[in-house]
Amino acid sequence: MTMRNKANVVIIGGGISGMAIAYNLAKKGMKDIVVVEKEYYTAGATGRCGAGIRQQWATKMNCLLAKKSVAFFEKAQEELAYDGDIEFKQEGYLIVATTKEEDEQFDKNVKLQNELGIPTQKLDKEAARKIVPYLNMDIVTSATFCPTDGHLNPFTTTDAFYKAAEKLGVTFYKFTTVTDIVVEHDEVKAVVTDKGTIETPVVVNAAGGYAKDIGKMAGVDIPVYSQNREILVTEPIERMQGPMVISFSKNIYCQQTPHGAFIMGRGDNRPPGYAMDSTWEFLDEMAKTVTELLPPIGELRVIRQWGGLYNMSPDHQPIISDAKETKGFYMACGFSGHGFMLAPMTGLLLSEMILGEEPSMPLEDLKLDRFEGKDITNMEKSVV
Amino acid sequence: MKNKEAVIIGAGPAGLKAAKQLLEAGAHVTIIDRNKKLGGQLVKQTHKFFGSEKQYASFRGIDILEILVQGLKPFEDRLEILNETSVVGLYKDKVVACVKHDNFFKIKAKSIIMATGASEKHLPFENNDLPGIYAAGAVQTLMNEYGVKPGDKVLMVGSGNIGLIVSYQLLQAGVDVVALVEAAPQISGYLVHASKIKRLGVDILMQTSIKRAIGKDQVEQVEIWELDEVWQGIPGTERVLGVDTVCISVGLAPLTELLMQIGADVEYIRELGGNVPRIDFRYETSIKGVYACGDVVGIEEASSAMVEGAMAGIHAAHDLGYTVEDESRKLKVLQEELKFLRSGPHAAKVRAGYTKLEVKT
Repeated sequence: MTMRNKANVVIIGGGISGMAIAYNLAKKGMKDIVVVEKEYYTAGATGRCGAGIRQQWATKMNCLLAKKSVAFFEKAQEELAYDGDIEFKQEGYLIVATTKEEDEQFDKNVKLQNELGIPTQKLDKEAARKIVPYLNMDIVTSATFCPTDGHLNPFTTTDAFYKAAEKLGVTFYKFTTVTDIVVEHDEVKAVVTDKGTIETPVVVNAAGGYAKDIGKMAGVDIPVYSQNREILVTEPIERMQGPMVISFSKNIYCQQTPHGAFIMGRGDNRPPGYAMDSTWEFLDEMAKTVTELLPPIGELRVIRQWGGLYNMSPDHQPIISDAKETKGFYMACGFSGHGFMLAPMTGLLLSEMILGEEPSMPLEDLKLDRFEGKDITNMEKSVV
Repeated sequence: MKNKEAVIIGAGPAGLKAAKQLLEAGAHVTIIDRNKKLGGQLVKQTHKFFGSEKQYASFRGIDILEILVQGLKPFEDRLEILNETSVVGLYKDKVVACVKHDNFFKIKAKSIIMATGASEKHLPFENNDLPGIYAAGAVQTLMNEYGVKPGDKVLMVGSGNIGLIVSYQLLQAGVDVVALVEAAPQISGYLVHASKIKRLGVDILMQTSIKRAIGKDQVEQVEIWELDEVWQGIPGTERVLGVDTVCISVGLAPLTELLMQIGADVEYIRELGGNVPRIDFRYETSIKGVYACGDVVGIEEASSAMVEGAMAGIHAAHDLGYTVEDESRKLKVLQEELKFLRSGPHAAKVRAGYTKLEVKT
């Protein structure tokens, strides 16, 4: 297959964000869209993530992005005309507090979320126990619960966007590595890959963990870094847990997939870099944490563990933006571990930006220039 | 976490030979194996070996096992055997995660010798999960280790040495081998084994494979069909055979998962059975202090696994700072033996595989 040498837009990254951007652009009628992926689709953070979908955030921006994304996922199966199953299960997120500070922060979060129309409830211990009966009530002080949060299958969801985009004429090149971006007179001209060069006036950086490197190729310094986050999956058992259970203070998220396996992870502070290895330390810590918070789950056998990259931004909120210094260069990165669940909005907002349409929501808190010479006051705290 | 010096994963012929060399040089050795008995696949190999006299040709596998285990006896004070122990994780700081009788524990090793061997491949066909469908090695375990007859009427799929030898052993146990089917146009194992079962009346069908298994709760019949020159089934050639057991013997795949987890460079080499670690001429993988030998570096036979194990053991001992008596001469002799074992026409595939690996390494 020879590679085409011209496109209207080249999207770098075949994860959920790249696919959603391609789909939205194609749906709006754009032609000659190319997606380039250096491995196979979902090989990066998308295929490695927990695939939880939550609206319970501490910043307005994240709440809005999540709320609108959930609205999309509720009708995604039909809208994308997908013949598989994206496995969207809205069984809620139960976020538990184990400290007084957390409990107070949760009051603020719930107030913000309710103001934005997200149906989160603050629960006392007894009410939390009704939702997940085997929670360790000796350490849980209170909880918040949003019944419309849930989880998806990251592989089929990405596949659904991919197939819908392909039907609309998008061209995909997998196992194709971008090696350079040609910029002339501060304008994007072409994307150079190991399989050939594609002339294009627009490049979208949806490279997940590698977004900073792609930015550099276009002369754009993006203030993000990548960090390995580990995760594991247990043997499958009969369904016993509907909601995702999270504790920020205990550093755990834990969910049961539709097929019965539990998926859980935590965010140990690793040095920035591209390592995605799995460690015995994670296994030890994860086992201790889950045994403390959800004792019966500690009895399960671990089937597999793996790592993946969080692309961290300074305020732990996404960067969905153009680049002032390089015309035609756009980016969707710095999701800080939450790019999967926000993908419908990532796709919509970037397509509007590229086509010069009126944005569906205010963009100032998503733009790259929000970090210029300013202190970060609007930090997202609800991150595992 | 326990600190150990040399940790050998897998107590088959390669692992036991590596242990011997390390112990002779003075190292402390821990052997981990998931089975109760040491010896890997030797425990069920009641047939006599071919190959080189130095690798115990004309001895039976079970007797070779006894020789190898006896060879470790003088060093018992420096040898620890963790049997019935599965290695469930291998991490880049050389931490070996183990499970024994549902207890999880970790060992930190100075050097690791991977002698994990291989697993049997399966075939995709309709109903390939019906009870009564076995891998040939599993049938050998049932019969030769536990004395259990797997069934009464068997279809053997595959004419490699395992398929041929297990067919013979089934006949010895009074089991009717209804037919042996082979997808290729020629026998892939030793002709002498094939002739033996042919003389005993087994129908050997070339360019033929299993299409599906038939049965409700277990195998009752199988449908076989002929294959064309591009390995596709030819409609109209189907035949139904009445059997209660299907034995799949279609090759082995190196058990490389742990090496992948630790991050060793792995290469797909078809001739060696699949994904194999890149090793240098010292049997060291791309990770310093982690060695690999035996079937995990390429599917061969127990005899070559023993030679490779000895060489890996010598290099590991050297790297740990021990003096191996007569090291260069020993290595040279072992090198020659390996060359001899790989010299026949049956080793052409293996030779091609190692040439590829060498080019890529």
